[in-house]
Amino acid sequence: MAVTTLRAPARDTRSRGRPAGRGRRRETKAALIMLAPLLILLGIFVIWPLLHAVYISFYTWSFYEAPVFVGLENYLTVLTDQEFVDSVVRGLAFTAMVVPAQVAVAFLFANLVKSVSRKTAAVLKVTIYIPAVISEVIAAIVFSLIYAYRGGILNWFLGLLGREDTAWLGETSTALPAVAVPAIWIGMGVASLIMLAGLLDIPEAYYECASLDGAGPWTKMFKITLPLMKNIILFLLVTGFAASLQFLVLPLIMTQGGPVDSTTLPNLFIFRHFTNDLYIGYSIAAALLLFAVLGAVSALIFRLVRSEKAVDG
Amino acid sequence: MTRLLGWILRYGIAALFVVAAVFPLAWMAVAGFKAKTEVVATPFQFFPEVWRWDNYTQLLADESFLRSLGVTFAGAVLFAALSLTVNALGAYAFARLDFAFKRILWVVVITTMFIPGIAIMLTSFVVVTQLGMLDTLAVLVIPGAASGMQVFFLRQYYLGVPVALEEAAQLDGAGPWRIFTRIFVPLSKGAFVVVGATSFLAFWNAYVWPVLTITDPELFQVQQYLATFRSDRASEMGLLMAGSTLAALPVIVLFLIFQRQIIAGVRITGLK
Amino acid sequence: MRRQLTAILLIGVLAGCGSGAGKAPGAAQGGRTEITLWQQKFTDQEDAWYKKAVAAFNKAQDKIVLKHQIVPADVWDQKMKAAQAAGKAPDVYTLNYNKVPGFARTGQIQSLERLIPADKWTGLQESVVGSIQYKGQKYAYPMLVEPSAVLFYRKDLFAQAGLDPNRPPATWAELIDYGKRLTTKEVSGVVTAGTAVDMAWSTWGLQWNAAGHLPISDDWSASQATDPKYRQLLQVYQTLYQQGIMPKQPLAPYADANPMGQGKAAMMVCGSWAAGVLLSDYPKMVPNIGAAALPSFDGDPAKPTATLGGWTLVVDAKSKNPQAAADFVAWLLAGDTTLLVDFFKTTKFSKYSPRAAVADAVKNDPAAAENPWAKTIEEQVVAHAKPEPTYDWAISLAFGKAIEKALQGKDIDAALKAADAEIKDFIAKNDLAGQGSGS
Repeated sequence: MAVTTLRAPARDTRSRGRPAGRGRRRETKAALIMLAPLLILLGIFVIWPLLHAVYISFYTWSFYEAPVFVGLENYLTVLTDQEFVDSVVRGLAFTAMVVPAQVAVAFLFANLVKSVSRKTAAVLKVTIYIPAVISEVIAAIVFSLIYAYRGGILNWFLGLLGREDTAWLGETSTALPAVAVPAIWIGMGVASLIMLAGLLDIPEAYYECASLDGAGPWTKMFKITLPLMKNIILFLLVTGFAASLQFLVLPLIMTQGGPVDSTTLPNLFIFRHFTNDLYIGYSIAAALLLFAVLGAVSALIFRLVRSEKAVDG
Repeated sequence: MTRLLGWILRYGIAALFVVAAVFPLAWMAVAGFKAKTEVVATPFQFFPEVWRWDNYTQLLADESFLRSLGVTFAGAVLFAALSLTVNALGAYAFARLDFAFKRILWVVVITTMFIPGIAIMLTSFVVVTQLGMLDTLAVLVIPGAASGMQVFFLRQYYLGVPVALEEAAQLDGAGPWRIFTRIFVPLSKGAFVVVGATSFLAFWNAYVWPVLTITDPELFQVQQYLATFRSDRASEMGLLMAGSTLAALPVIVLFLIFQRQIIAGVRITGLK
Repeated sequence: MRRQLTAILLIGVLAGCGSGAGKAPGAAQGGRTEITLWQQKFTDQEDAWYKKAVAAFNKAQDKIVLKHQIVPADVWDQKMKAAQAAGKAPDVYTLNYNKVPGFARTGQIQSLERLIPADKWTGLQESVVGSIQYKGQKYAYPMLVEPSAVLFYRKDLFAQAGLDPNRPPATWAELIDYGKRLTTKEVSGVVTAGTAVDMAWSTWGLQWNAAGHLPISDDWSASQATDPKYRQLLQVYQTLYQQGIMPKQPLAPYADANPMGQGKAAMMVCGSWAAGVLLSDYPKMVPNIGAAALPSFDGDPAKPTATLGGWTLVVDAKSKNPQAAADFVAWLLAGDTTLLVDFFKTTKFSKYSPRAAVADAVKNDPAAAENPWAKTIEEQVVAHAKPEPTYDWAISLAFGKAIEKALQGKDIDAALKAADAEIKDFIAKNDLAGQGSGS
């Protein structure tokens, strides 16, 4: 699978000048014990179910009739289903709205916290986390009210500026971005704090030196901040991508996937099949294909952002 | 002049952040004081016509709500502790130790991050059923504890810890366990809080898995309890909002307690 | 080392509390057979009624212990499928009419004819019995029916707009015209389903009305979606939406009657259950509201405008105690009527019993007058309504999407053609031809 581009950590980070043989054996033993809980739990509760799901995906299965082996038929049905392909493309468009915005907001936030007074910074740090505490269901309800056509806050506000009411969730052109906003909002807190942690990690001395050399704020940002934050940005991009391609509750509650499927994200599409199909092969195969898409795109992100040093220490 | 402008800009944006983050929570808390038909009424009204306490008092007097808060809290603490232990150990091994099949194992672990929940929902349910875990706290705590994402995060962090720190210990003959517990764990406070908070929240907001696996009302999770206020045709909106507010409070308080650690001493960037 | 130990201990402890608790299902408890009932979460009043009924059943006999569980609607399918996969499905559960034949076809539920004696099946409405059958066998016991589409309208707003408050629109042209006159900045002239998913099922009755058939042939072998008679149905929705008579984005899901209660709609299309919400949550609004059947496209009021949805109880095919499960079903739905009458009272006479004995008792209940619309709905809507279609949801959704496209201003013929292609494709891929039994 494409994920092999995620490189294992280089071997020589710290073993310089140490006799190899015995040390390595001892390390392997320690490593296996340390890894045991992780691998056992993943094995039982994730990998075994995954293999079982793959097995099921080759059958027509309703749990009540004798399963019929159909080979790759479920996959072919999914792949030739234009609606599935559309939903994945739409999902990618959705992540293209959500993830960069999230990273940008987090970056802005982190820089802001650094530049305001201590007290304000403390207030900011606490409040930014609140969206993560609120469940997706509630967020979907609140944002539906904000977008309400008549009497919604957004239209009320734009009305003050003399704009006509807009059906944010009712027009194919605005519905997807309208769903993206709460998605950004939900993930904003954690991303911001991780970004802030990374930013505070850069020694002040670097900036002082740069200032002495006459560097302006933009130069500092592009020459110091961004390169040194690569690792964090990579983490946020990959996890943000994996999370935002899997949103389900937001479109389900806010738009039911409409209008004209403009907000039917891949997970909602699969969920609909899962709930309405008499057999489960289709939805399992679709979910596994989505898994493949997620893995492949993430590998691509790793490759694009990766620098040997940043990722491998 | 530009200084003043910069100040206004900074604090203006800061205010915007605070409003954007707090508004839905504030709205939810206030909506808890509304009658059920008033909550989603338009034109939008922030404050209720009449402030009613009955949603809040009814919930606080409801033993099963309080129990669900308690049970979920206990489960979330256990869950955070277990997942930190499991994932930190794994992350350390991947960051620092040298062993057979390391590369392939790493790929396997990190790939689990991308498995859509719905793909393995049925089959993991089969596993926990066969293990006899249904209707126990264990079924909520154990299956999700190992997390590719957390291993990824912690490994990135450990890669940034300077090698010099352990070299001295190594010369004194310290093995991987000593180095991990004496050097890495103390350094991980901030990272642990970030990861722990994420686990805690994931547990706190879990809904589908508890509904699948828990039927014993004694073990009902808080989101499971709150779902009893929702239905297709007539939701108890006031109670739902009040309940969600009360459910959010413990988490926010917890976060206030730990917020200092979140920023202090986190090193993730891999700098020397 | 300590950390490792803690981890192992923790896992041990947690796994330990896991092993002891699992009791075998269906095990005898003090000589009584234990069976489980899953009920989808309805309104609080209905849930309370079920609880009461289960308690009464457990008290009424000493052979069976019934365990009752309320499952939230939004995770019902996940929970059910997971349970089925693990062999943990409940013995009895609530199921919609339209799902009964599909479940029977895939062997998920068992025929009840063997389990419930013939005399218990008498007095059931003919058309409803049709929808619980598969290959001549009855697979579910019907509990209630609800017409899917009723026109509720505001008499006071009618009067204000110079319309006769006792004459609801009788044709679609009138409905559109009235809607236009009733629309203001605050009030929508007509509120009805606005998303493909909601339109897919809420328009079943109108699909019958417009064309005299559904978009798929009775034996499910051919698509009929391009019947030109469907154009008028799509046209109506297009006009309502494009002229701003119905809201540009749904105020609430179709099944939710709150917009009417909150005064945001002059006319609202909703199921008969809306009455329950309006009566219990918006009593002040009730005197202002009238009910009527939706207009027929050709003006004939005897044509169907709604389908009869609703709930049945079924017995799982793998139930270890099918007879006990069926005994409960018969006790609850086919026996003494007192408890059932109480159900229809609790739900404010907004639902109808398909069983003559219950229906009569409900009708003659002195409290029936508290629902001012019940009689009109029964006589004008229920009397002409069709049972819900039983084909796969994908077929319904394909047609719902066609209406949604029309709504958004797209070409009507193209929308119908797309639905036609989708239905044909589904028939071919799922070997549907010949599965349908007509209606």
